[in-house]
Amino acid sequence: MPILDRFDLTGRTAIVTGAGSNLGREMSLALAAAGADIVGAGRRLEPLEETGAMVREHDRQFLARPTDVTSSEDVNGLVADAIAEFGTIDILVNNAGGGSAGRGKTLPELTDEDWHAGIDTNLTSAFFCSRAIVEHFVEHGFGRIINVTSGWGYRGQRHRFMYPISKAGVISLTKALAMSYARDGVRSTCIAPGAFPHEMTDEVNNRAGLQPAGRFGRLEEIGPLAVFLASDAADYMSGETVLIDGGAIAAGLTPAGMVPTIEEGA
Amino acid sequence: MAFFDLSGKHALVTGATGPMQRAFAIALAEAGADVSLTTSTTEMAEEVQANSILNECWSIGCRGEAVTVPLADEAALETAVADIEVRIAPIDILVNASHVAPVGPFLDTSSDDGTALFNSNVATVLSPTRVVGRRMVERGSGRIVNLASILHDRGVPNTALYAASQGAIVAFTKALGIEWIRSGVTVNALGLGFTEELAGPQHDPELHAALERYIPLRRLANAEDLQGALVYLVSDEAGFVASELLVVDGAITAHG
Repeated sequence: MPILDRFDLTGRTAIVTGAGSNLGREMSLALAAAGADIVGAGRRLEPLEETGAMVREHDRQFLARPTDVTSSEDVNGLVADAIAEFGTIDILVNNAGGGSAGRGKTLPELTDEDWHAGIDTNLTSAFFCSRAIVEHFVEHGFGRIINVTSGWGYRGQRHRFMYPISKAGVISLTKALAMSYARDGVRSTCIAPGAFPHEMTDEVNNRAGLQPAGRFGRLEEIGPLAVFLASDAADYMSGETVLIDGGAIAAGLTPAGMVPTIEEGA
Repeated sequence: MAFFDLSGKHALVTGATGPMQRAFAIALAEAGADVSLTTSTTEMAEEVQANSILNECWSIGCRGEAVTVPLADEAALETAVADIEVRIAPIDILVNASHVAPVGPFLDTSSDDGTALFNSNVATVLSPTRVVGRRMVERGSGRIVNLASILHDRGVPNTALYAASQGAIVAFTKALGIEWIRSGVTVNALGLGFTEELAGPQHDPELHAALERYIPLRRLANAEDLQGALVYLVSDEAGFVASELLVVDGAITAHG
């Protein structure tokens, strides 16, 4: 089959968590542009409906399903509703997450609740969603789980605990899923975005010089990677985390001022 | 397809003499690129193979040429690249696909063997990257993809020289990717596991059988398995992917 046809997702259906904004919305739109129908999960209905309207512009179906992804009961309901609506689900994008829990506190100040909130939002959510759907994937011999970690999954940061730790856990979850279901047609991969600001304010843009690329990621750059990983063209990939970070992890020393010396505009 | 269209791009695939390089050239052509190829020697078998690959690309509808040029001879390479850019188009995509994988105990190898292997696997990446990359940096855009085996950080006996050459390519990719990142040129590597199409220790029948049991996806890679990752990495859509080793290995490294 010609290579561009192997990227095509026509006939596939994807559940995307955190589909109401930012990277989750972008991945939903790209998967839809590649032919997939979308089940959008997220805390609030209104942003999901906004994503839904944009998905429908690609002539794809969209089910908005408000979900608390830190509740296994709610996640099981999400998967049941998705299967009831579409019959077969092929792709799960574990995108929901966030870094607000316990922010600004030092280790002794972090409460049990802060710890559980941070780990649950980023790691438990992906575990619950994967657990809820994997038997369905195994039954029809096909499934793509795409997790979303962060450059912080590789790095240590001063007085940040739950976010980097949970994101490192997501990388490990990706490998565990890959190993556990390799013989069942299920592939598990992970996207590690670098800095993708929610909005490009002047203040944000002023910090772009600290990035090796001299810029942040653009939201529209995340979707095509999800399309590739969800597609038949990535059939021999599993367990792998793909960095899309403008070289941030490879550069490592950049925050120390080791930025490229090529003149701007050269 | 909404993504990864390479129409209007001109790709150069080096070392275009085997089934892996053939699969790369075909994928680039299918995605819409014009594809040119290099072979290193004027041996009949290599030229026949390169022309056969080129014919297949032409039948898909692309333009392109096959040129014979020793990849580590930068003066010759400079002339060949200049010519091909005039006759076809500026090169937007460089796939450094020349690759050999000798196997054997380290103590059975000589210093000359080491030099020869680094000439075959590393110089063939450095020189085309310098010659073609300079043009890409001047134009402010380009995509370079190197091949690198996961053996660069797996301890597999009897592959020490080969593993060292692969480590060199990974390190080169990461450093150069950052050096050029603000110029619009991305440098990435495609991480290979054990493939049916390339030389390597996997062709020993006993090891081949063991690998089929050990690799989580239960088979060695075919050249087709790597086409998607290559097309993704060289596409406009991958502009924020740099200095990356994108591993397509049937989940071997998930296991360790």
